[in-house]
Amino acid sequence: MARRRRKQTEVELNLAAMLDMAFQLLAFFILTFKPSPVEGQISLHLPPPKPVANAQAEKQAGENTADLSPVAGLDTLIISLFSTASGDVASMAVGEVNVGSQQELDRRLRTILKDPGSPFEQVIIQVDSALRYEGLMQVVDICTRQTLANGQRLSKLSFVELPHEANAKK
Amino acid sequence: MSASSHGSSAEPNLTPILDMVFQLITFFMLVINFKSAAMDLSLKLPVIGSAQPVDMQGQEELLVLNIDSAGKLKVFGVDKDIERYIATEAQVSRLAARRNHANDNDESLRTIVVVRADRTTPFHLLNRVIKVCQEHGFRRFSLKAMNRKEET
Repeated sequence: MARRRRKQTEVELNLAAMLDMAFQLLAFFILTFKPSPVEGQISLHLPPPKPVANAQAEKQAGENTADLSPVAGLDTLIISLFSTASGDVASMAVGEVNVGSQQELDRRLRTILKDPGSPFEQVIIQVDSALRYEGLMQVVDICTRQTLANGQRLSKLSFVELPHEANAKK
Repeated sequence: MSASSHGSSAEPNLTPILDMVFQLITFFMLVINFKSAAMDLSLKLPVIGSAQPVDMQGQEELLVLNIDSAGKLKVFGVDKDIERYIATEAQVSRLAARRNHANDNDESLRTIVVVRADRTTPFHLLNRVIKVCQEHGFRRFSLKAMNRKEET
């Protein structure tokens, strides 16, 4: 201190220039800041649609006469979604059975897939070509919430497109 | 001038304000998300109750596809030809997979295709994109959705 007083020279940084630059950086970040919405996701394994009969299965249907299950060798459950002209869900079916609502679809899938004797490992969703993505996602959501008989979550789904005109004729 | 002639000058102490500004800059630098540039925020995603954000922790390679209600593919705001773009990305992904997993003979690609489609997109347009992806070896998909309705 004594020395400094004697010399009477103080080194002072000019902070104004640095502050200018800092404000410019700050302005840039404020102007470009756009918080992106938190998006959820549904992860799926989507193989190309295969034939319903699992030809590679070791046991084919009817091979074992002691096995009374007629669907041994089949591992795919089919859900059909039909659309209105505006793209909303008009009707749904699991296999050949119509289901009236999403709750009913959920119940039916749970009953089928959780059954210890259930052979199903994957689901093929036959979708009307005019159906909107939102309607499809609601059904995909129900499917991915299901647990298979082996305890794993259902994640193998395939989509098959149904022509809209054909549905209109029904 | 008169102040300097008296030998006393009033200089504000800029150090605290500089500290504060640097703290703000640090904050914005930390929260800035360059990944959001790949997202088309004009798309209205479907609303699904169980859709949860999953942190991939940067371990997975992602291919983000923004598909609008007309079925057009947008990448960084630019319309792209679906077939050509996915073929190129599949080639890149395959090369990366060979480099990282040389002994892996699995034909399907490890890259996750992130589908960000507008909620009103008809299925046949979406299915076209999914089919092209499958033809090029992509098997892992992630369908994006919001888990609550955005306030408009």
